[in-house]
Amino acid sequence: MPSETRGAWIVVPAFNEAGVIGEVITALRSVFTNVVCVDDGSADGTGDIALRAGAHLVSHPVNLGQGAAIQTGVEYARSQPGAQVFATFDADGQHRVQDVVTMINRLGSGDVDIVIGTRFGAGVSRPPLLKRLVLQTAVRLSPRGRKLGLTDTNNGLRVFNKTVADGLDITMNGMSHATEFIMLIAENRWRVAEQPVEVLYTEYSSAKGQPLLNGVNIVVDGFLRGRMPR
Amino acid sequence: MNWIQGLLIASIIALVVFLLRSRRSVQSQAWVKVAFLAFMFAGVYAVLRPNDTTVVARWLGVDRGTDLMLYGLIVAFGFSTLNTYLRFKDLELRYARLARAIALDGAQQPE
Repeated sequence: MPSETRGAWIVVPAFNEAGVIGEVITALRSVFTNVVCVDDGSADGTGDIALRAGAHLVSHPVNLGQGAAIQTGVEYARSQPGAQVFATFDADGQHRVQDVVTMINRLGSGDVDIVIGTRFGAGVSRPPLLKRLVLQTAVRLSPRGRKLGLTDTNNGLRVFNKTVADGLDITMNGMSHATEFIMLIAENRWRVAEQPVEVLYTEYSSAKGQPLLNGVNIVVDGFLRGRMPR
Repeated sequence: MNWIQGLLIASIIALVVFLLRSRRSVQSQAWVKVAFLAFMFAGVYAVLRPNDTTVVARWLGVDRGTDLMLYGLIVAFGFSTLNTYLRFKDLELRYARLARAIALDGAQQPE
């Protein structure tokens, strides 16, 4: 096991993913010692499967949304002794473990605080047309993302250091957290880089994907953010 | 543009800016209450002396008092909708933090 994976914590937010969570956790555990699954109030035993597959388990008593689950996972991970590197990884099996390893190595070079996966890099296959249009519109609507030179602001794969983990305070519980992540990067002046990653659009992950209309929620929430108490 | 158009548009913009710029401080909450009281008093007055509203409406370039009241109601409704939305978001966040504290308390480690 490479030494840099020892202080690494992989945060996997999961909601009703019983069908795939076992495989996802097992694949992560084959490389990483520390995996924490945040069961976001699932009704199908997702949490138990993740625990048996070797993940630490934090269970929300009620469903709160993916943003809240990521925050919970990061809070758990950052309180663990020796935690240095943190990653968010979707539970539906759309990410590849080897991409996390590449991103951790990229972070290890020390010139950035956070590495975000992008589906629009060189050498990776592009998402289906409709998905591509939605994602690129999301980027265009995100002035901060553009300023930071990001091409994919809604990627679930992120790797970051302790500075980012300690400063992270996601207040948007639902799917708007991806935008909030970008806002936090801009506000805190964290140094950011992108890494091309392969996203596997299985039938399962496509079926669970975000409906297009949710983009409206994301834009409005982004506009109203910052009026909230911190 | 006549008086009422300018006045209504300005008040809508002022409300939106006020709501979005101010953090949810004690002061802004107090102002919300003051505005609500003023709105209620104006309502009572309009009920007692409906013809006066037409007089005020004429000053502002509106034909009828009822129209003026409708415009006022639209502004008040927008204000209260936005205020409620922000309130709900605030509660949602507190609720999430409470649930998170419970979740972290009961964290389980793998064998």
